[in-house]
Amino acid sequence: MPTAFAFTGHTRRIARALVETMVPRWPDFDTDLTDPVLERLERTLDAQPKAVQTLVVAGLWGLEVSGPVFGHGLGRLSAIDRDERDRRLTRIAHHPFPTFRQGILLYQTLVNLCAYSMPEVEAHLGARRREWRKDRQALREVLVQLDEGAKAPQTPAALGSYGHLDPQAFIEFGAAERLRDAANATQTPAPASTDTALDSDGTEPSVEKPKTRKRAATPRRKGP
Amino acid sequence: MTAAATPNIVVPESRGATLRLDCDVVVVGSGAGGATAAATLAEAGLDVICLEEGGYHPTAEYSADIPQMIAKILRNGGATAIMGRSPVPYLEGRCVGGSTVVNGGMCWRTPERVLDTWVNEYRLEALSARRLEPHFEEVERTINARYQDPGSEGPNNDMFKRGADRLGWKLSKNRRNQIHCVGSNDCVTGCPTGAKQSTISTWLPRLYARGGAVYTHCRVEKILQEGGRVVGVAGRIVDLDGERRFVVRSRAVVLAGGAVQTPILMLRNGIQVKSGQVGRNFTIHPNVKMAALFDHPVAVRGAHQAWQCIEFEHEGILMAPGLIPLAFQSVAFNDFGPRLAQRMRDHEHIATGGILVDDHASGRVQVLPFGIPLVRYDVTDEDQRRFIQGAAYLATLYFEAGAREVYTPFHHFPRLRSPDDIRRMKAAAPRVQDTEYFTAHLMGTVRMHGDARQGALSPDGQVWDRPGLYVADAAAMPGTIGVNPQVTIMALARHIALHLGDRLKSRAAA
Ligand SMILES: Cc1cc2nc3c(=O)[nH]c(=O)nc-3n(C[C@H](O)[C@H](O)[C@H](O)COP(=O)(O)OP(=O)(O)OC[C@H]3O[C@@H](n4cnc5c(N)ncnc54)[C@H](O)[C@@H]3O)c2cc1C
Ligand code: SF4
Repeated sequence: MPTAFAFTGHTRRIARALVETMVPRWPDFDTDLTDPVLERLERTLDAQPKAVQTLVVAGLWGLEVSGPVFGHGLGRLSAIDRDERDRRLTRIAHHPFPTFRQGILLYQTLVNLCAYSMPEVEAHLGARRREWRKDRQALREVLVQLDEGAKAPQTPAALGSYGHLDPQAFIEFGAAERLRDAANATQTPAPASTDTALDSDGTEPSVEKPKTRKRAATPRRKGP
Repeated sequence: MTAAATPNIVVPESRGATLRLDCDVVVVGSGAGGATAAATLAEAGLDVICLEEGGYHPTAEYSADIPQMIAKILRNGGATAIMGRSPVPYLEGRCVGGSTVVNGGMCWRTPERVLDTWVNEYRLEALSARRLEPHFEEVERTINARYQDPGSEGPNNDMFKRGADRLGWKLSKNRRNQIHCVGSNDCVTGCPTGAKQSTISTWLPRLYARGGAVYTHCRVEKILQEGGRVVGVAGRIVDLDGERRFVVRSRAVVLAGGAVQTPILMLRNGIQVKSGQVGRNFTIHPNVKMAALFDHPVAVRGAHQAWQCIEFEHEGILMAPGLIPLAFQSVAFNDFGPRLAQRMRDHEHIATGGILVDDHASGRVQVLPFGIPLVRYDVTDEDQRRFIQGAAYLATLYFEAGAREVYTPFHHFPRLRSPDDIRRMKAAAPRVQDTEYFTAHLMGTVRMHGDARQGALSPDGQVWDRPGLYVADAAAMPGTIGVNPQVTIMALARHIALHLGDRLKSRAAA
């Protein structure tokens, strides 16, 4: 998708070299993420103020010619190979002077956010984030349906899953189907709440009441 | 003029003659403070318009594409940082619902010790625990501040609880503004299931029910003043294709753009009270992130945060788990490329949490020549000692829960493998400059104070020497509170709006 902000000319070569160094790579993952991440980076920067865009571009040029300044050699960042770039950027990322480190941190944050939110990266790492969202949407739909006609317990009581769903199974994939099946099997109307661990005012006996908090009690086992 | 899903959410035409509106009260911002104030004023029978700079993005629009969501609902695409000894990145929502759309949903009342200070030292009798009680109740009922459904917490929360329980440390169970949070772990980019009860689904419908409206894409730039009185606002319609302007005239103006935007708007309009307090007293309740590697899966699924450890609250240290999606987890480590890729293979085994410090430093929001904003804050050495101590506590908790390694926010001490390492980390006393902070709790830049020489707002929320101008957001908070602030902000906004409503009605009657 074309974006309004785009790296151009030599700046693009530097940006690409930096992204190529910073994107995740695994021996069992064939896709080169450089170009898709570069495109996502441009999209991200497009939403950011001009001042940030300028800072990012200026910083890239700074890194491009920083070799002699840091004593890393004369070659420009975009002209050296990826392993050498990695060594240089890593050394700057651990520089004793915080401002230099923070520069790398900015790029690293942007690249990591763009890369690790890609569906193929999530899938490779087994995060199944997109499927999980769908699964959760389905579960909540069933929970809300089960609520229909029932009076919600007063805050702060948990709404609960009305006795139909084992808490152990709540956080599992497919909980919506299990909940629907269980609800159909029992055909019990939804009680106000089956959160039996709660006091009558809805607070958990084992924890602090949700009233305006007093100073904490004297510490028990001290930490280090 | 076009309407979004409800006719009370108005997306103005972006071209054409200046849009002119009249009302009793115009509220700037639709987040925690603005939406609460707008609904309360509308329920008092006043004609209310709420102006919001961002767009309207309902649940169906929250996609899994993180960069896209960040661009859509966060100010400056999330690229915001406070300058100081160490820059502190922060996030602000910029959409209908403001930061309540992107927040973690934790709901805490203002601690009583804080309210006592406000009453005794800030001369704010109206903010006593007793007088705020009905406001807290109304807020909690409205936003559904509840415990999680049993089982929705997930293992990231469970590991934290296990560590605290084994140490005998006191936990407080979070209430969150949610209806059936199902632990999708997407809070920061907008809840995709509709569970989180941002102001979009709580206070704003109450505003609409009384005929009030939210105008989206309306960035307020001018505060209109006549004869020393504030009589409305003006600005531009933004992010749409066009250059249209708007003017809203009103009997009172309530600013609720947040603790950074509100003082900037005031200062750009030359509104600086005699005491010079606008923009000062900025506290940020800073936090640092930590992570811990376990032998078994702990991450990915569950609620953002179900517990807080309040054992060390008296030291100003709060610890909490904080489940975050994979992409945010990847930025918790100071690394990139194949090394990080290798570590992220373990992502399911990495628990994430953080430490919040009840800060003492006071930063400042300023406007430099040409209207350039400058947001400054320095973490003090005293607060840094608490961060180090807090990191030691949290590492102890994670080791007790069975963690193999703990990752810290300290540059020269990134990884701890044993209690001995904790001792070494403490002895090394990492510097502020070598620590990575973050904040989402910005407060106090237009603070309320019973003494006009020490604050910018009177006890009923009016700017001291500017009749007709009120502030009802995080900026109005008298000081730091040491807990998540949305409930406090809403309770204060309600207190301010009820007073203003009474005042306008009695004036009309007179
Ligand atoms: C990531 C994150 C997590 C958080 N987690 C929690 C939590 O778990 N619990 C908790 O209690 N708090 C939490 N908070 C903090 C809480 O959400 C905020 O403190 C609270 O929402 C601030 O309320 P506010 O009204 O001051 O500002 P906001 O809610 O930020 O609303 C301000 C609104 O005003 C609009 N605006 C600003 N300037 C203008 C202008 N000139 N013209 C028109 N509109 C304007 C903005 O676009 C925005 O929509 C979190 C915050 C963030 C960012
Ligand atoms: S964890 Fe998921 S379901 Fe729960 S409030 Fe956050 S985004 Fe919504």
